[in-house]
Amino acid sequence: MLSVVGCMYLLTFYFNPQAGQDALLAAFKILKMIIPILLVVFFLMALLHTFIDSKSISRHIGEQSGVRGWVIALVGGILSHGPAYVWYPMISDLRKHGARDGLLVAFFYTRSIKLPWLPLMVSYFGLAFTVVLTGLVILSAWIQGMIVDKLTRVFEE
Amino acid sequence: MECELIDVHVPFETLRHKMNPLYIRLKTAAKNTLGTLMMVMPMLLSVIALAGLFETLVTPEMIQSVFKGSPVEDTLIGTGIGAISVGQPFLSYVIGGELLDEGVSLYAVTAFILSFVTLGVIQVPLEWSLFGTRFTLLRNSLSFIFAFLISIATVTIVGLLS
Repeated sequence: MLSVVGCMYLLTFYFNPQAGQDALLAAFKILKMIIPILLVVFFLMALLHTFIDSKSISRHIGEQSGVRGWVIALVGGILSHGPAYVWYPMISDLRKHGARDGLLVAFFYTRSIKLPWLPLMVSYFGLAFTVVLTGLVILSAWIQGMIVDKLTRVFEE
Repeated sequence: MECELIDVHVPFETLRHKMNPLYIRLKTAAKNTLGTLMMVMPMLLSVIALAGLFETLVTPEMIQSVFKGSPVEDTLIGTGIGAISVGQPFLSYVIGGELLDEGVSLYAVTAFILSFVTLGVIQVPLEWSLFGTRFTLLRNSLSFIFAFLISIATVTIVGLLS
């Protein structure tokens, strides 16, 4: 994929050097922004590998996790920062150790609630809109998780 | 009186291992984690580079120009445009506000804001390589459908409340 993206940059630089330069600058800006989050993810992954075994992952966010698993997934999604792809390595690691697909889908969906940006959303679209949308996102994250769990069971049978 | 002799030629690292098993676990964990991150790094860098390219080439004006005026069609377009757009989440609010001023329906703007964060065309290859086809397909399809459904539900409920 890196070579394909490299070719796209070469083409952009060839046809519009200014746009190519701007794109490169924008990419560096994104990289600068996600480095602290990547470090946090690295730290969390190392902690997970050291202190948490597959059994406890399975107990908290695995097949038998129950309500606790949903709370961890939904709240974790709301509290996690940065782009989703930064969290992919850690989440796929958890999945390998027994985390349930439904909970991971719920986690990724509640990531659309960005606590620091909620005041800005209120100023653009109003309080009622923000409250209703946030509530519906949490509810639908849970519904999507349930659907994925059901479908996963069907696929595995 | 017996006293234990310490071999001064034993390397410091080995002594530390004997003294602290946690050190070994931490070191192994850090090594494994670094290995995982190094494995996904080329893909991660590609996604970042692609995000930079999209951020530059896809402008808010281009986004505004694709809406047609029909609420249902615009909601679908909003979901699609949100899925290919990249940037900080607040950008979707700013663009969404501008779209509302331009007369685009709140259904479409809500779908755009939602899919801006929950869907990401540029990150699909990374998601697919780490989570597999079934998970990626399921998650993205559900996100697409729910962006549409939530936008209708949100606007309807807000309308009823006001």
